[in-house]
Amino acid sequence: MKFRGLRLLSVVGLLYLMLYLYDEGKMTIAVKKASTLFGELMLIFPLIIVVMALITYYVNPRKIASHLGEESGLKGWMIALSAGIISHGPMYAWYPMLEDLVKHGLKKGLIATFFYARSIKVPLLPIMVAYFGFGFTLILTLYILLASVIQGLLIDQICGRNKKCD
Amino acid sequence: MKQGNKKKSFQKSLKQAALSFASMMPMILSIVGLMGLFQAMVSRELLASLFTGDPVKDTLIGTVAGGIAVGQALVSYILGGELLEQGISIYAVTAFILAWVTLGIVQLPLEAEVLGLRFTIYRNILAFISTILVSIGTVWTIGVIG
Repeated sequence: MKFRGLRLLSVVGLLYLMLYLYDEGKMTIAVKKASTLFGELMLIFPLIIVVMALITYYVNPRKIASHLGEESGLKGWMIALSAGIISHGPMYAWYPMLEDLVKHGLKKGLIATFFYARSIKVPLLPIMVAYFGFGFTLILTLYILLASVIQGLLIDQICGRNKKCD
Repeated sequence: MKQGNKKKSFQKSLKQAALSFASMMPMILSIVGLMGLFQAMVSRELLASLFTGDPVKDTLIGTVAGGIAVGQALVSYILGGELLEQGISIYAVTAFILAWVTLGIVQLPLEAEVLGLRFTIYRNILAFISTILVSIGTVWTIGVIG
């Protein structure tokens, strides 16, 4: 297995070392914050691995291309929107799964749609209503859905069928 | 026998998924590390102090600040609520809470590594523009509906 991102990890390690030399207290806070975040992520990782395994196991790569590929049509957009709305955890936790799907023919526009639709956080909607009101939450949610699809369509236009974004 | 083969092949899928995920762990740890650094260095008060009171400027500032900021979406709502109380325009606050979840400067290196640099640049530019338009559209629509 080849690890990816070791160079970036070294740079981040160096930043922590510099912060330690400059302000030890702040470095301790940063480590605590990062540890808490990683602890929260540990709860999501198994879910993502199981979802990846289920896709590999149950879905034929050709079917991925037909459901989420260039010819997926309305079904593809609906899947991308729904997946974005129900997916939990930070965006970057889903990158490994998306990378796998791209290899099997997932079109890039649907990734943009998936990412933007993730801003609709269903469990947090009641809190948003409490802070900003029902009308605001409803209209914002509708516009996010619309913007998600428009972004996907634009990405498909920009990237084109000759794989300009690869 | 068939059941056994199926079981074996699901285990293989699981192993394959776990390995694929594990190979990306240094990247994920880097992003988590950067987020820890950011949260330690940039306080909520500092973020709130960026806003000027000018709705146009603040909408842009809100989008940029939300894109740079990291943390749970819930924190952006709380901070957004506080900003509204301080008299910051609803356009700016909407842009801020939306950019918080849709843009992520910190995770750009990982996105570019996994999905390609060009895709990452295009997607983030579009998300930036969309965030401003959605914010203006939302507030404007609420104003029209009353």
